[in-house]
Amino acid sequence: MAEKTIRVATDVGGTFTDLVSFETDHGSGQSRILTAKSDTTPPEFERGVLNVLEKAGVDLKAVDFLVHGTTVVINALTERKGARVGLIATEGFRDTLEIARGNRPDFFNLHYEKPKPFVPRYLRRELAGRMSYKGEELKPLDLSGLPAILDDFRADGVEAVAICFLHSYANISHERATLEQVQQLWPEVAVVASHQITREWREYERTNTTVLSAYVQPTAERYLSRLHQGLKAQGFTKSPYIMQSNCGVDSLESVSRIPITMVESGPASGFWGAAELGKLIGEPNIIALDIGGTTAKCSLIENGEVKIKTDYWIERDRTSAGYPIMVPVVDLVEIGNGGGSIAWVDDFAKLHVGPQSAGAVPGPAAYGRGGNQATTTDANLWLGRINKDYFCGGEIVADMKAAETAIAAVGTRLDTDPDGAARGIIRIANNNMVNALKLVSLNRGHDPREFTLVAFGGGGGMHAVALAHELGVTKVVVPAAAAVFSAWGMMMSDLRRDYFVTRLADLKPGAGAGIEHVFAETEEHARAQFAAEEIGAEKVRFLRYCKFRYQNQEHTTEVLIEGGEIADGRLADIAAAFHQTYEHEYTYRLDAPVEMVGIHLVASAEVGKLTMSKRAASGAVAAIALKGRREVDFALEGVRMADIYDGALLEPGMRLVGPAIIEESGATTVVHPGNRVEIDGYQNIHIHLTA
Amino acid sequence: MTTTINDPITLEIIQNSLQATADEMFAAMRKTAMSSIIYEVLDMGTGITDAGGRLASSGAGIPAFIGVLDKATKVIVKKFDKPGDIEPGDVFATNDPYYGGVTHLNDIIVAMPVFAGGRIIAWTANIAHNSDVGGMAPGSLTGEATEIFQEGLRLPAIKIISKGEPISSVMDIIKVNSRMPDVLEGDVWAAIASVRIGARRLVDLAEKYGIGTFESAVSSFMDFGEEVSLKALADLPKGTFELSEEQDDGRIFNVKITISDTEFLVDLRSNPDQSNSPVNTSRDGVIVAAQMIFKSLTDAYSPANEGSFRPIRLLTRPGSVFEVKEPAPIGFYYEIELRVYDLMWRCLAKHMPDRLAAGHFASVCGTFIGGIHPDTGRQYTIIEPQLGGWGANRGRDGNSAIFCGFHGETYNCPAEINEARNGLMVDRMELNVEPGGEGKFTGGRGIVMDYRIRGDNGFLTAGYTRSKFPPWALDGGREGSPNYLQVIRKDGSSENYSFVSGLTMNTDDVIRVVTGNGGGIGDPKQRDRAAIEEDIRNGLITRERAAEVYGPT
Repeated sequence: MAEKTIRVATDVGGTFTDLVSFETDHGSGQSRILTAKSDTTPPEFERGVLNVLEKAGVDLKAVDFLVHGTTVVINALTERKGARVGLIATEGFRDTLEIARGNRPDFFNLHYEKPKPFVPRYLRRELAGRMSYKGEELKPLDLSGLPAILDDFRADGVEAVAICFLHSYANISHERATLEQVQQLWPEVAVVASHQITREWREYERTNTTVLSAYVQPTAERYLSRLHQGLKAQGFTKSPYIMQSNCGVDSLESVSRIPITMVESGPASGFWGAAELGKLIGEPNIIALDIGGTTAKCSLIENGEVKIKTDYWIERDRTSAGYPIMVPVVDLVEIGNGGGSIAWVDDFAKLHVGPQSAGAVPGPAAYGRGGNQATTTDANLWLGRINKDYFCGGEIVADMKAAETAIAAVGTRLDTDPDGAARGIIRIANNNMVNALKLVSLNRGHDPREFTLVAFGGGGGMHAVALAHELGVTKVVVPAAAAVFSAWGMMMSDLRRDYFVTRLADLKPGAGAGIEHVFAETEEHARAQFAAEEIGAEKVRFLRYCKFRYQNQEHTTEVLIEGGEIADGRLADIAAAFHQTYEHEYTYRLDAPVEMVGIHLVASAEVGKLTMSKRAASGAVAAIALKGRREVDFALEGVRMADIYDGALLEPGMRLVGPAIIEESGATTVVHPGNRVEIDGYQNIHIHLTA
Repeated sequence: MTTTINDPITLEIIQNSLQATADEMFAAMRKTAMSSIIYEVLDMGTGITDAGGRLASSGAGIPAFIGVLDKATKVIVKKFDKPGDIEPGDVFATNDPYYGGVTHLNDIIVAMPVFAGGRIIAWTANIAHNSDVGGMAPGSLTGEATEIFQEGLRLPAIKIISKGEPISSVMDIIKVNSRMPDVLEGDVWAAIASVRIGARRLVDLAEKYGIGTFESAVSSFMDFGEEVSLKALADLPKGTFELSEEQDDGRIFNVKITISDTEFLVDLRSNPDQSNSPVNTSRDGVIVAAQMIFKSLTDAYSPANEGSFRPIRLLTRPGSVFEVKEPAPIGFYYEIELRVYDLMWRCLAKHMPDRLAAGHFASVCGTFIGGIHPDTGRQYTIIEPQLGGWGANRGRDGNSAIFCGFHGETYNCPAEINEARNGLMVDRMELNVEPGGEGKFTGGRGIVMDYRIRGDNGFLTAGYTRSKFPPWALDGGREGSPNYLQVIRKDGSSENYSFVSGLTMNTDDVIRVVTGNGGGIGDPKQRDRAAIEEDIRNGLITRERAAEVYGPT
């Protein structure tokens, strides 16, 4: 066994490509953590990755485990820089992609603009052939028209082909036959069929998912293959793992085939990090909050498990229906409220914060780069919560004059002084975030008081205590190195795949064997996929969930089924578990028949994730980390003289009390009056609210 | 933590929380309902009123329901006016337009008083379309009805839950009157869960900030709504605008709108007497139509409340189609409400070209299909509105295939789910490429959808308007195309319909739904040449017709 293990995570963001490396010494059990940053390099993003590896001095020959997160998929989608796609649909349904679901979220706006389909009508073609909802063939597939369709596609410059037929979730044979024929007739083209991505019903959602996957496929494939070659050229001999939207990692080969699964990989790693952190510190129930520059995202973790769903949309908000992507994505709520969110006053003297953001350029007014609008960060600086003499870890000299001018402008509109305006900005921003946190907790039947708030990202620690107070949460944890927490989460991820399969069954005697069969079949499929990547069956762990509803309902409630094989004798217990989960969420239960609509199978295997070791309390007192005192405005509690601590000097076992500020290079933690703080053996900050 | 009462930031936070609560009520209802018209079509709405029933915050849902909940709550408040009539834990219901129900008997409104500090501080309420509430026809809607008694069970603003306990005799009566008793029961309980969740949140809010602060936030929010509306009203062109329009059934509807700096006056007195068919609406229903068009013209974005609508004044004549008197039937009220909505829109469009687009297909196109599911043997009932084409905007072609102006965050039913749930086949669902709606900017496309029936003795009921007179155009654009149904029998014969009740459908009969293309704007000869080529390439128009309408390319 080697003396040390080196794990590296790289993350391509909008502005910077980040690197975190953990070098674990097997003798001492201690990890040396190294971070580096370099510019993101569009459109050849892989160059930025290789640059940051070089800058950090990482010897790829010695690296044991490399995991990579990238925004290449979401960027291609939002910037509309994907391939020209041709769609092949079931006869009578080529317009499904354009008809969509017909909803009009912005309903009083008579100038609403429906999202444009990613494939124009003339590139949407049809083949005859029909399945029933049960998967029976009603009309055989007629492939005779396919060569002419592909000729047209070639002539029209199509670069990727998407195939989606009705009821393919129940029977894939028509899609598979078409897929094979396309590959044979046109081997160079990128092609994907819906069943390769999802086995769930709803034809518009599945068609759109397939189209968007085809749309990003050439770009993503090219990117991943260049990245792999670049890593190999530097001596990396293993296969890199790629972060997925379901909080797991997957092999580069597998991701190259269905790249759309990377779409929300950025937030997923942070939420997985929160779940893993919870296991480490004995907190299984967590509300995870990630506050970045432009948005805040949150997700709920119950009993150590993240919630993975397939109802995900891009570009969807109160003014647009957006585009659905039916792939496993961590259940999250995202709002346009981050450090760079702009505060503005409407025509009726009402204060708002976000969703517009000052971005990296010009950034908050205090960056001194010409930004003249007050942001949340400016308000935090003005109130003394962020240290004006240690702004952005000392990298930027805070332009307090610019911040004052911007905040005063807001104050004038509100008829208050800059202090009042800054407090108002913080309170409105906090309220926006509280409403988002309620959406993932109260709105889904969970009492936030039973959860611990784990806050990370640049702004997590700044707002966490105030938010916790609003929600009645009594404990906040700000993880060590909160600013690079997402990268840490990546290194803690398992190789994970989520399988969703639509299968209808009444939950009554006789159904047990059928339910067991669909699980067994899916597990076999999963094991085969893992085996192809040389991961033995013994390493694969399964979690079985069933999606149930009362007969006649549509929406389902997911219930974890433990205890092995499902047979008729267990159905009563399973139904009881559903009734209980349902009542917990919706306040009542019904004496109505229960129906299964489908399964959700989680298959995971550990692939060399990091093991953390705990440090003993040093016995030192927090006073050695005290670097000064200053007046801080806590908004609701008013102005107090607060102790200022250097986060880098805090050690396990240290305790302190609020009012205090803990400053680290990438993050500031605001400890409100009366809070008690202790540092755990992994350097995480635990804040106990007295309320 | 104490805060100054009335500080603007606290009030703002309470107002945001009201909106979040109404949204949460909506989400809860949606996820637990049993009728597809609720959980998929989202033919429902949620809202919060003050203690007197004035709308404090509207949730999501269909716009046509936003102004309904307050009217129902006011009737409940008025009826239960003695001490002890309303107690904590009570829940009330109404569905009768002659008792605050506004719409038709299928729509049950459930309302719950919110108590804090020993008094009522607010109400939470919701409305949803129930699949069957009894009456002479399955689904409770039929063009044959001549009195409201034939349209279902009437709930004249009654208590259904007393101090937290369901009044079982009332619940039993409601259930036994439905052809789909389990579904009705499930949907009513979903509604109850939704108002309870909302009430719980409001109590938390009042306890946290103080009851006085809560109430002052609600009333300041209404004043704010009025302020926004008055400011927007000031920007509208002033004057009196009039329009007469012939309807598909031959009736002539007339409207006169007078806009001043402080008032939006809609005069509908000069209109036909009420009908013995269910093509009437309550006066409240017409108020809702006026509120919708007013909201779109003034402030499409902030949440609607009582104050937003204060500048509206409506004049109607008792006993007319727009102020129906008991016991006239009102089942298809929504088509009439839509007609008056479209009438006001059309009346103002030529005077406010930047605010209003050309006419859209403007019909719910409510389609009701029922029968026995051939695979499960259970009764199925499809109750669905249809997608259609919207009119051209100034500067842009209209949207294709979205719900009409009455529906908002409403979803159509996927063919895959339709075939499994209802046991029929959806043979196609495509854009309507019939001519119509051409112009410098074209109307959006309606749809063509074929339902093939898989069993005998099913039924079809429907009520489509804008079937004879298609969507209207502006500035020399072409009219859109009509909404209609075509029934193609197994033997190949076919019939066209716009209103039909209880038509028998047998195996392999096809029901073809065709919805209209929206109206165009501007002279077709001015259409961009590249856009015409794209239309041809996309198969939306033939080259021959393009040459005829748009001129030589």
